[in-house]
Order: sequence, then C-alpha cells, then structure tokens
Amino acid sequence: MNPVLVLGGGPAGLSAAAELASLGAPALLVEKENYLGGNPKRWHYSLLAPDLKPAEEVLGELLRKVEGNPRVETRLETTVTQVEPAGKGFRVSLRTRETLETREVGACILATGFDHFDSRRKYEYGYGRYPDVLDFKELEGMIHDDRILRPSDGAVPKRIAWILCVGSRDLQVGNTWCCRMGCAVSIKQAVEIRQKHPEIDAYVYYMDIRTYGLWEDLYWKSMQQYGVKFIRGRIGQITMAEGGKRLVATGEDTILSRPTEVPFDMIVLASGMEPGHGTQEAAKLFHLPVGPEGFLTPKVADINPVDSGIPGLYLAGAATGPKAIPDSVTEGMGAALRAFQYARD
Amino acid sequence: MSVVAHLPHRTLSLADEEASSPPAMELTGRRRMSAAERSLAETIYQEFRADPRHEEFVLGCLNCGECTTGCPAARFYDFSPREMLQIAANGDATTLWDALQEKIWSCCQCYTCNMRCRFGNDIAGIISVMRELSVRHGVESTRRTLAPFGRSLTLLMTVGTQVSSDMIQPDFFRDWGPFATGSDKAWDVSPEIMRKAIPIDVLQTTRSAWEVSVQTSLELFRIYEETGVLDMLRGLDPDLTEMLVDIIEERREEFREARETHRARLETMRGPVATFQG
Repeated sequence: MNPVLVLGGGPAGLSAAAELASLGAPALLVEKENYLGGNPKRWHYSLLAPDLKPAEEVLGELLRKVEGNPRVETRLETTVTQVEPAGKGFRVSLRTRETLETREVGACILATGFDHFDSRRKYEYGYGRYPDVLDFKELEGMIHDDRILRPSDGAVPKRIAWILCVGSRDLQVGNTWCCRMGCAVSIKQAVEIRQKHPEIDAYVYYMDIRTYGLWEDLYWKSMQQYGVKFIRGRIGQITMAEGGKRLVATGEDTILSRPTEVPFDMIVLASGMEPGHGTQEAAKLFHLPVGPEGFLTPKVADINPVDSGIPGLYLAGAATGPKAIPDSVTEGMGAALRAFQYARD
Repeated sequence: MSVVAHLPHRTLSLADEEASSPPAMELTGRRRMSAAERSLAETIYQEFRADPRHEEFVLGCLNCGECTTGCPAARFYDFSPREMLQIAANGDATTLWDALQEKIWSCCQCYTCNMRCRFGNDIAGIISVMRELSVRHGVESTRRTLAPFGRSLTLLMTVGTQVSSDMIQPDFFRDWGPFATGSDKAWDVSPEIMRKAIPIDVLQTTRSAWEVSVQTSLELFRIYEETGVLDMLRGLDPDLTEMLVDIIEERREEFREARETHRARLETMRGPVATFQG
C-alpha cells in the first residue's frame, strides 16, 4: 500500500499520522518548518484552555506516537510543489532546499492549518511600534517561561489589558468570522497570570465572551477565583502617556455608555485566526474551492467535515476554519480513517 | 448689494425662553410629550424607517463602541454614535424623538465613526438623515438649536461657504496641526488657545472673501430649489427662508441686468444678437 500523505505537522496532522500508523497504514508526514507541532510549538503555547493542561503534555503525547514510529516517515523543511493523479492516488513532488523527489501516495490529508492575524494591520493599536503592546501568542511564551516583564524596560507590569477580537469580526480588515479561541485563551492567560502574580491587575475588553460549551466554566472561575475584570467595549486606540512610560487605552464602556481612558503597563491583543499560508498554497496546488473567508471548504460540512469532494483528498484541522486543538485532533482522526479506507482497497 | 448686509442678528426672545424651560417630567425621567408631539414623533419615525437610506446605512451593531472612541463630540457631550445607531436600528418613535431633541446636534459630521465601524455602518450618515427629518418637520427643539446659526446658514446658502481662506491662520486654529501633535497632548490645548480658535466674531476676515460670482450663487440656488432644501428650511425657519428668497431674487435680477447690459453693448458693436435663456 502506498503511504498516505499528511500535509502539515500541527495537532491535526500529527493526530492523522498517528492514527494512520495505529491502523497499520504507512504515513508520509510533510512539514514545511524544521519542527513538528505547528502553531502551538512555534509560539510556545503555555497551558491550553479550558483544562489548563500544559501544551507540551498534549503535543508530547501526539509527538511520541509519531516520532520514531516505523510507519510514519517524517519529512521536515519540505513542501509539496506539484501534484497529479496517479492511478487511484496522487503523484506528488516533494521539494526541500536541496532535493526534489517524486513519490506516489494513496491519499492526501491536508492539515495545513491557520496563521495568527498580523496585528500590525490594526494600526490604531500600535502593535510593532509600542513595545509594550503584545500579541497574545507572544504572551504565551512569556507565561510559559514565567517571565512576565514589560518588553520596553523589563519592569513587572502592574496592570495588563487584553483586547479581544483583534482581526476577528471586523469588516475593516476583511475578517468577519469569530476565531473561537480568543476569549478562552485570553481569559486563560489572565487566570494564569493572576494565579502566579496576584499583584497584577487583569482587565479584559470584550464585545461578547464566547467561551462556548463547557469552556464557560473558565470564564466564571476567572471572576470568582481570580478577580479578572471584564469591561464590555472595544478599545478604539492605544496611545502613549507619561512621556512614553505607559500606554493609554481609549474606548467606550458600552454598558455604562461612557468613554473610558485607562492607563496600562502592558496591553495584549487577542489576534484572530486566518487561513494559513500553507492552506492558501494547498488550495492552489489541489485546485480546491475556498469559502469567502479563504478557508478550505468540505463538500458536505455537516455530515462529513473531512471530505474535500475530490476522491482521496481529505481535510483536517484549522485549514477549514478556526478550530481548537481538541477539534483539530478529532478531525485528524476522522481524516485518517477516511484516507485509510480509500487507500486500502 | 452685499450678502453680508442681510445677515440676521437675533437673540433668543422671551417666548423662546419659556419654550425651553423644562416641562413636567414623567416618572421615567423623560420629558412628557403632548399629543401633538406624539403624533409628530410617530410621523417622523415612520418616514425615518421608510427612508431608503435607512436600509443602506444601518446594517447591524456588535456594540463594540469603537465609533464612540473616535468621536470628538463624545468627549465633550452626552453623546455616543453607538447610541445613535442603536436608536436607528432598534429604537421606536419615542426614543427617536428624544434623540432629535438635542443629541443629533452634538455630532460634528466628521465621519470618524464610519471609519472606525467594523460592521460597515454609515453612522454619521444616518445621523444626518435624522437631522434632515427634524428640520423638514420643523421640530421645535431643532428650531431653537439652529437659531444661533442663522448667520452661518445664510452664508452657506448664498455664497457656499462660511469660512473664507484668510480666516485660516495658524494663530486662530492652534488646536489644529503642529501645535497639537503628541498623541496624549491632542486635547491638552489651553482654554485661551481654544477660545482663540473659535471665530465668534468674523475676526480679521475681509468681506470680499464672500463676494462670489453671480453665476456661482445662481447655481447654488438652483441646486437648493431642485433638491427641495428651500422647502425643507421653510418648515423650520420661515423668516430666514423669506430672506433667502429675497437674496435669490436680488441676485437673479443682478444677473438679468448684467446680461441686458452685455447684450446692449454687443448690439451697439455688431447689431442685434440672439439671447440665451439663462
């Protein structure tokens, strides 16, 4: 049996490769970066919402199933540059910096994932200009290393704000969808910081809190146990005050219907999810239709969310829309099963 | 004759004072509405909802408040573009009526809210629709609100501008430009400078700045007639409208005379000429 090509080594791809191996099928796992683990690894995610389990533990379990597994052939720093039908499956060209190689595969799973929104595009927040305005993926790394310090002067911040929906639900930047995890991850970050450093004040500016399903518990606890403060209303602009020593967030408290202006030591932007560069490339390579948002679209999303509509081509994870890690892992399993069934006979 | 001589100089009369004294309040803290007001409010509301611009401008709202964040008026008045949009989208005749009383006139139509809105609403636009309706229906509070602006309005209507180029001098607009850079200093301009920036009197403006060509004025008048602006204004301020009509007639007469003179001069030079109807 020809191997099943799994494109992307994030949670969905790892899960698919591990699942194929457990079914006894060979998997060819192709990743463009030089490490496995995708965005969680890249940005050193700390604890994962909502169970506050370390990301390393979750990813580690997946990695253990893949790394050293004789049925999984992992190719790092490799991209697929060409694809054509070959029998029931595909013939793909694998390119590294030095080599070009053609392989026949029985089926393909696209687990090409998402990219975080580039917060510089919301210029009014000064991300990239003000050192103390962070993207929340950067704060993940700081929390992970337990070094919560202002980038500008290395001081311990007294008051931190989170701004939700940066680059999500926003026609101005063309991203009208909800990223699904910004609320939960921001609240989780606030909880983590309050747990370790109760002297730091945490404010979350929101439009709606979308800690959907069982994640709501995290939202409640953040107030009950950790005293995280929630203010409804978005920050419209961030400016410098006190001679550049502090940030000032300007917005409207839409519950009190009053403009607000609050100084902060650090401001964290919950940047949304966009179709990843790899996902866009895969759409071009396989001539796949994309939705108005730019994500790949399953043929029948409600019954078979992993089926692309092209025989032998399956989709998993955030390539088809914003997704949390457990959902991506589930889809990876589903896609593996479907690909296995297809490539087997 | 110069337009400036026509400029109205009005003060609030005693009757205006009485009309503006607060009537009895309802339990909710709202002003009590008379039966006539109620019926007018309902008419305005129906017209507002039927206006095709309503559907185009008001799309929905996430209540994020970014419009209010950028709003210069919201810093100084009890005014919020978000509230205006909420009233436009979800309000009823009474809430719309309340907004018409004072709030819509706090807006300075800078359109920053539109620029900020992540939902694509035309907030400043829908506020201008509200203004238009309250002017057209001669809402009493609108009459009072706009009374001090008769001078500006007359200038706008007759010469097309109320600011002349020589009014724009750095000393009189200290709150603009290089004096107000530094993001946290934007509003930190001393009251003296702010006061200087308000050209209450006409300051150093020369009258000639407002002497526009007859054709320009006539074109403006034509636009006002065709678009119904004059009729709209008549409901609000009949006196001002009559005055404007006088000015219009006067300038048209001026134009006719000028044309006759011109034709006579041509005829003396090269015999009878055909006349174009202007």
